Amino acid sequence: MMNLLRSEWIKLRTVTMHWVLAVIALAFPLVVTLLTAVFNGDSSEFSANDLISVLTGTTVVASLLCGSLAAASITGEFGFGTIRPTFAATPKRLKVIAAKVIIIVSFTVELAVVIQLIGWYVGGAIARGQGATIDLADVPTGVPAMVGAIVLTALMTLAGFGLGLLTRSTAVAVAVLIVWPLIAEGLVGQLLVLATDNEQVRNWMPFQAGIRLAFVDGFGDGPSRLTSGIYFGAVATALTAMGAWLVNRRDA
Amino acid sequence: MISVADLTKRFGAKLAVDHLSFEVRPGQVTGFLGPNGSGKSTSMRCMLGLDRPETGTTLFDGRPYHALRTPLHEVGSLLDAGYVHPGRSGRNHLRWLAASNGIARSRVDEVLDLVGLSAVGGTRLRGYSLGMRQRLGLAGVLLGDPHTIILDEPANGLDPEGIRWIRDVLVHLASQGRTVLVSSHQLSEMALMAQDLVVIGQGRLIEQSTVAEFVERYGERWVRVQSPGLLALRQPIEQGGGVIDEVDATTWHIRGLTCPVVGEMAAAEQVVLHELSPQTGSLEDAFLKATAASQEYRSGGQGATQ
Repeated sequence: MMNLLRSEWIKLRTVTMHWVLAVIALAFPLVVTLLTAVFNGDSSEFSANDLISVLTGTTVVASLLCGSLAAASITGEFGFGTIRPTFAATPKRLKVIAAKVIIIVSFTVELAVVIQLIGWYVGGAIARGQGATIDLADVPTGVPAMVGAIVLTALMTLAGFGLGLLTRSTAVAVAVLIVWPLIAEGLVGQLLVLATDNEQVRNWMPFQAGIRLAFVDGFGDGPSRLTSGIYFGAVATALTAMGAWLVNRRDA
Repeated sequence: MISVADLTKRFGAKLAVDHLSFEVRPGQVTGFLGPNGSGKSTSMRCMLGLDRPETGTTLFDGRPYHALRTPLHEVGSLLDAGYVHPGRSGRNHLRWLAASNGIARSRVDEVLDLVGLSAVGGTRLRGYSLGMRQRLGLAGVLLGDPHTIILDEPANGLDPEGIRWIRDVLVHLASQGRTVLVSSHQLSEMALMAQDLVVIGQGRLIEQSTVAEFVERYGERWVRVQSPGLLALRQPIEQGGGVIDEVDATTWHIRGLTCPVVGEMAAAEQVVLHELSPQTGSLEDAFLKATAASQEYRSGGQGATQ
């Protein structure tokens, strides 16, 4: 398995597009968070809660980019035909898919960890320098939200990878990954609320549930962070499992 | 040794490979021939487990491909030189391949040198010509120093020097006792490097034999005669059942008779012969005759009327 992991890491790091997506995913939340700290740090109302909310909120966008990166990493293999020499070199296809998942999820989780650490420590230092009082102890849900944002990134990566396996098309997989959580789920959720007369239905839309992992507060009567995370994790795992099953069954 | 038994592959309603069985022996180059769409590439993909066949097995020295722990050490294959990421360098392409089977990085530079691509190893593959990609593909085949080699149209895109080079490489590899299976449309090249042939048409085996046996069976044979007194031979030849093809005033090609018979006729007529030689058609002629009934795609005009 170590050989496969090395091989997949070489593949991931030797394509420029992967790095472009990774850099954007890393830069977007950090730039927004740090600029927020710079411009609002002198406000007496700016708090640790605000800083963490901006940080985890922008990490949601980063997680979508990480999902796109995961989708592109596998659809590129089908698009350029490199999946054939890959499976010729390692006939056990499920092992290859497992190695790919481990590498891509490890990579994006590292990105998410770096985002949270730099965002919190550097953003906090900037805001404190401007006169704000930033203390993690003031926000009991701060650490869970940041950990949740990291878990969300991992699960969004898994979901993107699964969509890539299922569709074998970068354009389709990325379109579904971006359009579904940001637009389609809202519309479908609203229709279901109208049909069932139950506001809670909206919270059970898969990606909306996943995004709740990164909430600092605002859970209301909906499912908890843990429940939402397990639910979205099950959906993301199911997408990848279905994709893996199909890839194992189909012609390469 | 490669043993293919009862391989069948269907794409929807189309039967691409139809209960195909053949063996490829070590120590020689075996040519895998067939018209376009005859199922050569599909067969090779099925043999390597890339396409899932409906029936059949392929064994490499007695083991199925999926049972090989590090296949690159045992079976080197190149099905399409285009299966590369254009944004990756040639060296990095080989590195991920090597890493997947635990092959040392130093081997990557060795095989790059072997195929003459050391100078462009760091260049992105979008800058490679088809010929360079074929060489890179062959480098990938050689990475694990395998005892079995499977190549699908390896000479595509190569210049004459490259074609000769790949022929020499394959003949050399076979001479080391390796099993080499090569598909190609370049029949003149195949005639120069292959000892055995597997010929298929519409997914079915047409013939497995040596090149010499194949040409003997399907190739045309005639007698070439040169003499200033050919006219005196016309009557006995035609009476003996021979068919004369007049090349020029002093040269005939005679079908339907053997050299000894023509020689005796010439002696009886006291005709001095300047040449009397048996002639055999090319591998290309034999191939076209053998696969005439299996040609799925034909060109228009003359070819279509044959």
